[in-house]
Amino acid sequence: MSTVAQSWMLGKRALREATRTPDSSIPTLFIPLFFLIVNVGQVAEVFPSQETAFLFGQSYAAFQLPSSLLLAASFGSAALYLVEDIEGGYFDKLRATPISRTAIVLGRLTAEAAKGVLITIVLVLISLPFGVHIESGPLGWVLLVVLAASWGVVFSGFMQILALKTRSAAATNSGSLIFFPLLFLTPNFVPRNMLARPMEIAATVNPVTYIMEGLRSLVLQDIQWGPVGTAYAVVAGAGIIAVFLNVRTIRNYD
Amino acid sequence: MSLAIEAHQLVKRYSGRGGSAVEAVRGVDLEVESGEVFGFLGPNGAGKSTMVRMLTTLMSITSGTALVAGIDVTAAPDRARQQIGVALQDAGLDPRQTGRELLTLQCRLFGQTSGAAAARTSELLALVDLEDAADRRVKTYSGGMKRRLDLASALVHEPSVLFLDEPTTGLDPASRLTVWDEMRRINSRGTTVFLTTQYLEEADQLCDRLAIIDEGRIIREGTPIELKKDLRRRKKLRSDPTLDEVFLDATGRSRERVAGEVQEVSA
Repeated sequence: MSTVAQSWMLGKRALREATRTPDSSIPTLFIPLFFLIVNVGQVAEVFPSQETAFLFGQSYAAFQLPSSLLLAASFGSAALYLVEDIEGGYFDKLRATPISRTAIVLGRLTAEAAKGVLITIVLVLISLPFGVHIESGPLGWVLLVVLAASWGVVFSGFMQILALKTRSAAATNSGSLIFFPLLFLTPNFVPRNMLARPMEIAATVNPVTYIMEGLRSLVLQDIQWGPVGTAYAVVAGAGIIAVFLNVRTIRNYD
Repeated sequence: MSLAIEAHQLVKRYSGRGGSAVEAVRGVDLEVESGEVFGFLGPNGAGKSTMVRMLTTLMSITSGTALVAGIDVTAAPDRARQQIGVALQDAGLDPRQTGRELLTLQCRLFGQTSGAAAARTSELLALVDLEDAADRRVKTYSGGMKRRLDLASALVHEPSVLFLDEPTTGLDPASRLTVWDEMRRINSRGTTVFLTTQYLEEADQLCDRLAIIDEGRIIREGTPIELKKDLRRRKKLRSDPTLDEVFLDATGRSRERVAGEVQEVSA
């Protein structure tokens, strides 16, 4: 049986798990939505649609939506469920089967991808009444959803490494807080060229910036392959690193 | 008679605090014949679980070699896993799945088609008497039911060697007897059983041969009768001792010391 088929079987199990614990998805929707409303409420008056060039005629909510999508991506539950599997002994049960170690890693991430697609679609739909529309059209919709969900998978992949190394729910939970500085060292409220110099440097070296800019271009403009391509390249690069480190960690797991 | 398990000079070394090395298993040689129920006894921390984890590919081997069903567990772990069934100390179950879902997935992970997996799942649920609870989530099962499900999940691929790490710890007497019956039934079909336990009565009842490990080394090995006769001869006893007395003699522990350890743990 191929690694893909094995991953899909484990992914289905993780999806069943998610549908049986729907309460775990509430913060994933509520908190990004809360930040969208609060940030727009605080700053929208400063940047009126018609007089702010970087909004391309849309509301400030459209500019903020990518931040909320990235925040939602940081709430993946794969790593915490993995710690539960480790603590409960089920992880050893999986390791005692002759399946590929990569499939054990990818199983939960497959489920994260499906959850990421669903949550991104729901968040974008919720944002529509705030004057947001996806300027890049149907293809842009697809690219936006896939990009946000893929970043969620990559982020969960890094959290899984932490889970495998620490085998502790508390440490893994704390690890997700790493994301918050990364999210705020970005052109979160204004474009990168409007940031103060030290902040601009920090944003430029922060890979999350390029994903945010890719998502933002898909919301605000026709498809701009430059920022979109860069965003996908960052996600792909980070994804390869995450999977490589996961597989190495699981192979050396004692 | 062919060998189900062969270990030669098996060593497991951890790096402890401050960089010092801790040897949990120190050069163990072991041979278990096919079709045996082999008991592996020892006090807490003696190295029993470490041995099981190395033999089942769950833990790397520092040095030495281990073959299960003739397959080197380090050189060909996936081939070895096809021959090994394992139920560890904590029943490794997913509490959010139903018993049926859990067994079906386990069958599929061992390469069975969906039809074969469904059939094997039904067969195993009947074997461990969990048909009525099959579609309930595992978190609603009692301790005994979980243990039986764990045992069933170790059998999905009809392994030639079954490793059971303290399978009856924490079970009530009725559940313990049920697990014993399952173990006998599995063994009667030709499966070799490698059993670690702290219950000496269990070892006496079930095991064809046993080994006692202490501080990472095997210190006694033989059939329960041989071990008892050996102690009787050495100590010039009038009647055969119990396996408890064999264990205490082998590990150098007195009843008082064991009782003291128990008190410390429970304090």
